[in-house]
Amino acid sequence: MASYLIRRILYMVPIIFGVMVITFVLFFVVQSPTAMAKRILGPKAKPEAIQNWLHNRGYDKPRFINTQPGATWWDSQFVHQMKALATFDLGYSDATGESIARMFRQGAIPSLLITVPSFIFGFLISLSAALFFVFVRDSRTDLFGVILCVAMMSIPIQVYVIFGQWLIAVKTSYLPAFGFYLSGASTIKFLVLPVILYTLADLGGEVRLYRTIFLEEIHQEYVKTAQAKGVSPARVLFVHVLKNGMISIITLVVASLPFLIIGSLVLENFFGIPGLGNLTVNAIRTSDFAVVRTTVYLGSLLYLVGLLLTDICYAAVDPRIRFQ
Amino acid sequence: MALRILYLTVACALLAGCSNNPHPPPFREKRADGTPWQASYRPFPDDPRSLDPQFSYDTLGHAVVSLVYEEMLEYHPLKTDPYELIPCLADGMPEPISGSDGTLAYRFRIKRGVYFHDDPCFSSGKGRELVAADMAYAFNRIADPKVECPVLSTLAEFVVGLQERNDEAKRTKSFDYSKPFPGIRVIDDHTFDILLLKPFPQLLYWMAMPFTAPVPREAVEYYDGRSHDGTIRQQFKFKPVGTGPFRLVEWKKGLSLRLIRNDNYTATRFPTEGWPAADAARYQAMAGKPIPFLDEVDFRIIRESIPAWLLFRQGYVEAAGLGKDVFDTAVSARQELTPEYQARGVWLYKDAEPSTFYFQFNMQNPVVGKNRKLRQAISAVYDVDLEIDIFMNGIYLNAQQLLPPGVYGYQADFKDPYRQHNVEQARQLLAEAGYPNGYDAKTGKQLQLTLDLTVDDAESRQLAEFEKEQIEKLGISVKVEENLWATQQDKMDRGNFQFTASGWNADYPDPENFFFLFYGKNIPPEGNNNSRYANPEFDRLFEKMRAMENSPERLDLIHRLNAILTEDCPMIPLYHPVAFHLSQPWAPRVVLNPLVSNGLKYTQIDVAMRKQKQVEWNRKPMWPLAGIAAFLAAAGMFAYRWSQRHG
Repeated sequence: MASYLIRRILYMVPIIFGVMVITFVLFFVVQSPTAMAKRILGPKAKPEAIQNWLHNRGYDKPRFINTQPGATWWDSQFVHQMKALATFDLGYSDATGESIARMFRQGAIPSLLITVPSFIFGFLISLSAALFFVFVRDSRTDLFGVILCVAMMSIPIQVYVIFGQWLIAVKTSYLPAFGFYLSGASTIKFLVLPVILYTLADLGGEVRLYRTIFLEEIHQEYVKTAQAKGVSPARVLFVHVLKNGMISIITLVVASLPFLIIGSLVLENFFGIPGLGNLTVNAIRTSDFAVVRTTVYLGSLLYLVGLLLTDICYAAVDPRIRFQ
Repeated sequence: MALRILYLTVACALLAGCSNNPHPPPFREKRADGTPWQASYRPFPDDPRSLDPQFSYDTLGHAVVSLVYEEMLEYHPLKTDPYELIPCLADGMPEPISGSDGTLAYRFRIKRGVYFHDDPCFSSGKGRELVAADMAYAFNRIADPKVECPVLSTLAEFVVGLQERNDEAKRTKSFDYSKPFPGIRVIDDHTFDILLLKPFPQLLYWMAMPFTAPVPREAVEYYDGRSHDGTIRQQFKFKPVGTGPFRLVEWKKGLSLRLIRNDNYTATRFPTEGWPAADAARYQAMAGKPIPFLDEVDFRIIRESIPAWLLFRQGYVEAAGLGKDVFDTAVSARQELTPEYQARGVWLYKDAEPSTFYFQFNMQNPVVGKNRKLRQAISAVYDVDLEIDIFMNGIYLNAQQLLPPGVYGYQADFKDPYRQHNVEQARQLLAEAGYPNGYDAKTGKQLQLTLDLTVDDAESRQLAEFEKEQIEKLGISVKVEENLWATQQDKMDRGNFQFTASGWNADYPDPENFFFLFYGKNIPPEGNNNSRYANPEFDRLFEKMRAMENSPERLDLIHRLNAILTEDCPMIPLYHPVAFHLSQPWAPRVVLNPLVSNGLKYTQIDVAMRKQKQVEWNRKPMWPLAGIAAFLAAAGMFAYRWSQRHG
């Protein structure tokens, strides 16, 4: 087990490095640091001010390898940035000069307040719905369920958000159309609508997925055995199939856990929720490379941690799987 | 089952009782004297990047900086034709002190009894009085390379000592603030001179911009962003301490900035003249009164246009811009409010911005740069009115010159002879340019031009297509190069384009701030002459005009500069933007001058009317709740029966 974990963690290093190289190159292909400086200082900024800005942030150094006479070869942007990230020295935002670590700490709570309830409700509702549709499989209700789910999957989240804001907040005035502030119980009124919409937006896909998993289980031998023993259809489904189907479902769910912290890009932006999703969208929009590269770095780390957790869970839940 | 219905009822009741007001409660409900607390909620498109007055150079930063800090001079909030500077922190307008070769210094007197905001950075916690040394400190900061003042090189050309102090700091890698700033001669605590290297009448405009706002050295040193006794202090650029009418008390990134009234504010009062006669009654009621009228300003950060509009509809923000996606909802084809918004009592404002948009040619390009007739032909064929009708809701002003209305030297009756959308004339000019019907007279090949544009969404792509079609009416072929903003900037810097669309927004309403875009010494990387237009005669007249105070002689020079640009056609003026803004019935606008960014110090709102309208506009119908309850009850019944049947 321990050696397996160590090996898996070592595998992560080259993957992360690759991701960072690609991000670094892509960002500079899209725009030069000079353009970034202009964007941040304003199009009217003088060349001297731009040069000064670049110098203060190390963007005037060579990209990968320093070949200038008298300089050490590793005195380059890439090496400095990678070193900082590897030691979790997240540095300061290019746009505002704020501490990135602080920005991330502040953004995590609002994001989690939306994603955790949505995740729990979404999981419970889609699990129940999937079981129901499996129970009535091949009926007209099932067909209707499939159509509904596909429709829900096909609608982009922006449409949910705009329609939800219009219907719930404007037409009926029940909840705020926008805004967020942390103040005990009254925070809830800002969470209800985003949580509902975030849950709805993911529901179609989840139900379809879980339904497929359960349908696979229902054709297994142990189901036939149970039915032959005279176990009622409901008990077969809710006890036997549910338990076995959960193995696949848990592994899927665990993989998505680390992502809860990142929040939702679109939703947070439309509702003005100051979470990490909003932070990311805004960093891209304002060409804040320091924040973008940190987000990409932490995002890919989280993704790999998710995959690792999945493998561990899989082995822990299913006795047939062993660490090798 | 009964329990479930109870839950539902409670949930519905909660939903019905919960307010959809998105704002936290104001700091206070009432003022000390029992009158209602005036809190104003304003939509704000993003966090400002910095509130350091010596650094900030964007609209958002200035919107906050100009409420917290003030400068020696400011614009008259009501006068626009022409714009007028009036004293703010200065006691009277500065006196020019003439040297042998023109004006070489300005003497400023500071008002007595102006105090910085109360703040922990001062040893007593109480703000201290503003003195002349604070101005010297502000100029030292402009010179400090670490502050990254974006206008340093412009000012360094005219103000004594900026360049030397900057060079010295770069050389020694540190800035010595204990040295006095050589360009400011402190006479006494309330009098100082600014020393100039050469005549620079525009200095007065700079003295009304945040770059020259006095800042207390205590605050800059106190708010260092480091940890002191276990608590991390903010950085100065996020914690402004000034002399202005408001204090920043809270900034939640991505959410809001909250300012409250500076109770010690005495520097200025509401103007006693300058309003339009038609509105005299309203202004007379405010004339000469102490300002600000508002107790609290709450800038709410709303990055998307749709939620901003929804909050305006609900009455939760006082103002709204009219973007393309909501324009037709509020404004009719006759450019008046729609009946719905008229009935609401909303105010519509049509603001002409002191900006000009234009096509510009790369004068170093062998095809367009060396062929004046070709540039004139493109100018003559282009239908600006049609573009304004299709893409700008028909509200922008057709531009005939580089200067926008209101700037000294603008000629209202001037018509550019090559900008009258005359296709016949355009064809004629093109033939004279050596390309009859769009084909090169020598080689017989069709002329192909490349138009570089910033294209990042569907609308800018449609506009690009329109621009291409307009010019292709000449029979030439136009290739549109679609660039992202950054790439476009890069190409302009490097001169890697044939012709492009561009624009300029006035920093201050002086013709120098527009004509310098075509001044030969401003060719990149030195400046913003992206056309790379170099005309010795133009440069000579420009230098002369720049150093003069406004006078008939200066006006004549401005007209000559305009005539040169018109004839030479390094750029084709297109339009001056006009923006439509809405205000709620309880918050009519006071300020008439678009250059004023601290308009909120003159604004007041009718809190009682706001309360009443908010209730009226946010009624909660009960039927959807009843509907949801009925649906859930039915679903519950179904599930119950179903579970009974299938056990």
